[in-house]
Amino acid sequence: MLSEGRDGSCDLTGVKVFIVEDESLVAMQLEDMLLDLGCDVVGLAMRIKGAHEIIDSGIPIDVAILDVNVSGETVYPVAERLCSSGVPIVFATGYGREGVEERWHGCQILQKPYTLQQIETSIDRSRP
Amino acid sequence: MQQQAGDTLLPRLVAGLGRPSGHGGAVEEPDFAGIFEVLPSPFMVLDADLRYVAVNRAYEEATLRSRQELLGRGLFEMFPNEGESGRRLRASFDSVFATGEPDTIAFIPYEIPRPEWQGGGMEQRYWSATHTPLKAADGSVRFVVQNTVDVTEIVRIKEAQSLPFRNVPGELALLKHAQDVEEAYQETVSEGEAFRRLFRQAPGMIAVLEGPEHVFTFVNDSYQRFVGGRDLVGRTVREALPEIADQGFLELLDAVYTRGETVSGEAMPITIQPHPDMAAVEAFIDFTYNPISNAEGAITGVFVQGSDRTEAVRASQHQRTLMDELNHRVKNTLATIQAMARQSFRDVGDLDEARYAFESRLLALSRAHNILAERRWESAPLTALLKEELGSFAEQRVRLDGPEILLSAKSAIALAIVLHELTSNARRYGALAGEAGVLAVQWSGEAQTSGQTLEVDWQEARGTDAPGAPVHLEPGYGVRVITRIIEGEFGGTLALDLRETGLICRFKIKLFEAGDIAV
Repeated sequence: MLSEGRDGSCDLTGVKVFIVEDESLVAMQLEDMLLDLGCDVVGLAMRIKGAHEIIDSGIPIDVAILDVNVSGETVYPVAERLCSSGVPIVFATGYGREGVEERWHGCQILQKPYTLQQIETSIDRSRP
Repeated sequence: MQQQAGDTLLPRLVAGLGRPSGHGGAVEEPDFAGIFEVLPSPFMVLDADLRYVAVNRAYEEATLRSRQELLGRGLFEMFPNEGESGRRLRASFDSVFATGEPDTIAFIPYEIPRPEWQGGGMEQRYWSATHTPLKAADGSVRFVVQNTVDVTEIVRIKEAQSLPFRNVPGELALLKHAQDVEEAYQETVSEGEAFRRLFRQAPGMIAVLEGPEHVFTFVNDSYQRFVGGRDLVGRTVREALPEIADQGFLELLDAVYTRGETVSGEAMPITIQPHPDMAAVEAFIDFTYNPISNAEGAITGVFVQGSDRTEAVRASQHQRTLMDELNHRVKNTLATIQAMARQSFRDVGDLDEARYAFESRLLALSRAHNILAERRWESAPLTALLKEELGSFAEQRVRLDGPEILLSAKSAIALAIVLHELTSNARRYGALAGEAGVLAVQWSGEAQTSGQTLEVDWQEARGTDAPGAPVHLEPGYGVRVITRIIEGEFGGTLALDLRETGLICRFKIKLFEAGDIAV
């Protein structure tokens, strides 16, 4: 699991991650990366509707990694809900920082493509 | 003669010209010298050397010079002017002496020296002058009488109203100046008209505003078109263009008018609404506001120049959007390739095989991009995607049957990946391994209110010559990708059925709309 040369300075074992990402391959890769980091992927939504359903289910979430544009809709309503229940957010978008509304610039923002190390750092920094 | 005082000169002068002195009736001879003296309008008489031989009181007042200073002296000695005005004045006198015909200078700026007791220096004045010949008995011109009117005040008022088009003739009419002034002015007028026409037809927007309330005194066609053909002249900017009141332009005009600064803006957004019932239109303009000053340097108005840059701004915004979109697509594509590489090289047993799998996935993605690029990334026909994967097989081995369906870019790329994984599995373990197997792909689509659906039926019939391995569906990446795309990305249904005769894969999905492209 440490084959990619992580420094192992932070332990993300068991961190419950919720993913919103509409590109299948990218979503699968993110799942794999999170599994490699020892995280627990508690939900993967590829549509906004699905994302709301997962939040509705009340499943515990430690961190959310959100694509910004999800099949033609923005992810911000989902981000609002997560934010109001205190879930830290990492945005991951092909547009980079400029692709994220300014009010969310306080959050961690990843530009695709990203590495396992970047995911690790972002999750670590996003958490209180 | 030039040494004599003007008071006594005129009667003799008149007599010398052989003027008839009445017909002997009972009518009392008027005192012409007295009349000359008290005429309310400035008069003076010059000899052929352009020396003063007579001036009246009004002339003394107008020129700030006494007759003692003037008489016997040359006009250009007293009021030198090396410029255009001096040449014009001299030419007018020359013309009267040469032709014996009166001449008029309807409007002439002419500086005069201010006397020491008034502070000295030069004072800019505007004049209107009529030059009339006084002829000797032989018809030769001996003197010229000038009647001049100081129109400085009127010009200044008018200047404020109509810069840069000094509209003097109308003002002279007000003055009830001689009719010939009007006639002589026609030429000047036509010159002014030509100038005005030039501005009117200029491609850029031009307007002239006067006073602190910014009253339109001139607008050209381009400007008028821009604001929807509204009547502007005589109205304030606030009255004529109420919708721009809160867009910051009035404040800029105020700044130009009060502080004399030049203000300009590039590609400034402006909302124009020609009528309250009409839709507001957003436009972009470049503009410059220049203060208009009078001779004293006081600001009297604002000269507005502008150009409509809406199309250029829109084009550049569109280009910006395309660049953002391109960047987004490239990044997403890189992320997809990264995922492919990661999956292809994960848990590698055979590195060559892994490299082959990666490269064929990369090529499948690239071919899908080609199909989309040929159609400007607007759509890709499903048959084109299938033929890219399966086109190398003979028709009797691969049967494709279904209506043409146009896929959006997002749908096309996702389906291309699914078809590639199914095809490469069929090549290795299924109907396309060996020479005898048959693959039948049937599909149907129907448009629904919530978007088009697509149903695909992929049926493999393994050949007898297929490798001895049992019917196989590679676990791991292939199945995972297909499942994720069909069930997750498309939110569709998937049925994978491994039979002795081969794989049967059925899926039903709702296609992404064109608007979902690359998001």
